[in-house]
Amino acid sequence: MWENRCKVAVSGVGFSKITRSADIPLAAHALEAVKAAVEDSGLKMSDIDGLATYPELPATGHAEIDGVTIVSVNCMMAMLRLPNLAWHIQTESVNIGGAVQQATNALLAGVCKYAVVWRAMHNPKGTYQNLPGQFASGAAQFTAPYGFGGPGQGMAVAYTRWLETNNQNREKMATLAVTQRKHAQMNPYAYFYGTPLTREDYLNSRMVAYPFCLYDCDIPVQGAVAIVLTLADRARDLKPKPAYIAGYGQRLHFEVAGRIGSLSSYMEGGRSSSHLTWERSGFTPKDVDVAQIYDGFSASVIYGLESYGFCKEGEALDFIQDGRIELDGELPLNTFGGSLSSGRIHGLQHIIEGVLQASGRAGERQVKGANVSFVGASAPIVQGTTFIFVGEPY
Amino acid sequence: MSDWSKVTRPIPVPNEWTKPFWDAAKQEVLALQRCQSCGHLQHPPYPTCTQCMGIDLKFEPVEGKGKIYAYTIMYHTGDKRFAPAVPYASIIVELDAAPGALLAGNLLDAPYTEAKVGRPVEVVFQKLNDDITLPQFRLAR
Ligand SMILES: [Zn+2]
Repeated sequence: MWENRCKVAVSGVGFSKITRSADIPLAAHALEAVKAAVEDSGLKMSDIDGLATYPELPATGHAEIDGVTIVSVNCMMAMLRLPNLAWHIQTESVNIGGAVQQATNALLAGVCKYAVVWRAMHNPKGTYQNLPGQFASGAAQFTAPYGFGGPGQGMAVAYTRWLETNNQNREKMATLAVTQRKHAQMNPYAYFYGTPLTREDYLNSRMVAYPFCLYDCDIPVQGAVAIVLTLADRARDLKPKPAYIAGYGQRLHFEVAGRIGSLSSYMEGGRSSSHLTWERSGFTPKDVDVAQIYDGFSASVIYGLESYGFCKEGEALDFIQDGRIELDGELPLNTFGGSLSSGRIHGLQHIIEGVLQASGRAGERQVKGANVSFVGASAPIVQGTTFIFVGEPY
Repeated sequence: MSDWSKVTRPIPVPNEWTKPFWDAAKQEVLALQRCQSCGHLQHPPYPTCTQCMGIDLKFEPVEGKGKIYAYTIMYHTGDKRFAPAVPYASIIVELDAAPGALLAGNLLDAPYTEAKVGRPVEVVFQKLNDDITLPQFRLAR
């Protein structure tokens, strides 16, 4: 077990308004989320002395304009003018989960006391994924000429492999989409709060990139979320009940850019990350009370459930049936609605829900008695990280 | 059957790692990177061998026969250039001669419904312009 388990905690969490399109600069969303997280902690902004984010814009073919389409650490520093700032980082190789892990490390190293991590996501006007223009260079030279236009198709190919090698049926995925939408009706911050979804809606929806229909894809939104991390001793003096980081892991598997569709790489990415988290925390999948698994596309949940060890390979679509992933089921899953129903803000939403469930702050959607709260913060191979948060340090 | 005649494809831009692949394709030869230390064949090209981290890599012709490893049927018309072909099959092929090497392509000369995981396919070449010829796939004959 990890000697630093439960020594760092997440305290406050914050959300910005989430809108479908970019009506105001993204920096305003990020600022709103960060202020809300600091206020939720009961801290003053001047207490914050660490900053971390993963600022990437997943919409390909759009310009990265700081403050408008991304919010970098520099942008946040300029907005907040923190008098006690002592540490900051932008992560690259493991998405937003990496920023949370770096902040954890900085706190353990004693180089800052209160770190804020945010994820701000831009939804460009017009087409989300712009294919290359007349020419395709870099990794795209092997994919774009064949009409592989974005992660939707890139993720869809591995899903057909999973479905056909396991003799499975995509219609079973309706249970995931419908259950997550049901959960979103208890989450006022979810984009689809107030908009239910039925099994028939799912089965009748238009195909986007087979096997993905519309409701297998998360909804692109403009918005931001943020958290405050601090050492456990300090967290106990703050307003909310802390959620302690019992363990974390990151994907150790490497994939060549442009090599798309490798189901075995997805699985290896997830296994390598979760192995670290199970070993560091001392827990096993059977100990988990509630799970959030990244769902930018529905099939990511399959790869997560299987590679993290919640069920056997090939069985995830059966595993999610019969109420198992409902709030009172054996493994309540994506209890905030997931990205499919809350909107595409990458994995920090999942981390926040993991925190709220562990600390008993999830309100109407709280899983009763939840203590061990698992988070798979991004698609396993595409920069995956995993976490376990607990309400009771051990 | 998808109508590819009205589709304008993005033209690949070779770089120092990938140029031999495209030079071979122009001669209607499929050539992959082989590690001279361990013999591993890999695609897409990479500066080092992903098996043994060897740096002595040479492109060698390989037989263009393989199986559909995975596929997707594209219905979305976000990219107007590909809209005339929708719905179309974009496939990932694992070559029999190079397990683990994954090549993208379209399933040509067959209805998109013929795309199935495990189905044998063979390479064909589609000339885009005087410089670039695209390796593509059809059902094995
Ligand atoms: Zn080698």
